[in-house]
Amino acid sequence: MAGFDLFALRDVFADQGVMICFNGPFSHSVIEELGIAVRKYLESADAPTSRVADVFAVFVEQAQNLKNYTSRETLGREDGGSHRSGTLVIAREGERYVVSSGNMVRSEDIGRVVDRLKALDGLDKAALKVAYKERLHGSAQEENGAGLGFIDMARRAAEPLRFSVRELTGDLVFFSISVLI
Amino acid sequence: MEKLSFKADVSSPSVEFDPVTGLLQIGGESYPENSFEFYAPVIAWLRGFLAETKGAVKLRVSLSYLNTSSTKCMIDMLDDLEAAHSRGLPVEVEWLYDEDNERAKDTIDEFKEDFTMPFAVIAVKE
Repeated sequence: MAGFDLFALRDVFADQGVMICFNGPFSHSVIEELGIAVRKYLESADAPTSRVADVFAVFVEQAQNLKNYTSRETLGREDGGSHRSGTLVIAREGERYVVSSGNMVRSEDIGRVVDRLKALDGLDKAALKVAYKERLHGSAQEENGAGLGFIDMARRAAEPLRFSVRELTGDLVFFSISVLI
Repeated sequence: MEKLSFKADVSSPSVEFDPVTGLLQIGGESYPENSFEFYAPVIAWLRGFLAETKGAVKLRVSLSYLNTSSTKCMIDMLDDLEAAHSRGLPVEVEWLYDEDNERAKDTIDEFKEDFTMPFAVIAVKE
């Protein structure tokens, strides 16, 4: 680690307005601790209560999606490396906040995720509310409830959800999602 | 029936369900590691209680945050209370929120829309 330039990393964070960043394997206790930090940070920055609530909610949904997906056994491999960890960033953009996260996803799983996100694209707040209620009252317990989570994020967002899929070699892709609040 | 009682932690709510008084209270935060696992015994208790009680039932919720999977569990419980209300049991819901948090009020008002049982949304000063 002797050559690792923390100062350069710090510069990158400062340039992009990064307040909080976590990179590594997500556990439930990491989510709890980060959650406390996020709330305290925003409250000390005098963010309005409703906005703190939205940032916190989007943080929890993203972090739990990330943890649930990366801790699934199907993703377990001998090398135990980077595909088990995720990255989550909360940054400031003027008066607003951006919550972003990314992780490795198996190629065979990404289609379902993208389909769900594309289905929300172009829906206004009223249509999102209808979609939310349909999913909420549906009897089938969605696997990890990610569908409801995306709709909730879209409802709290100031603009449509942004996401990207980066093709990598092998059977993994890097998926990232970004929510402006 | 035994009283149901869970202590709150960072991400799980406290639960105090009293079969004698009919007062069922849930408060705190709700984003447990696995919401369905956390709420399964709570939902089971409520179903058992509603099947045998003849008295008034009041659910008092004071959750500052629910993640989406907890919300789904909460809706399941409200559905059961609504069904009990429809067959004539005196049921009421009282949902408390931080008066500064308009977003929380919007969310609760939206839950309320789907039910006909008495459902009070109450602002409290935190």
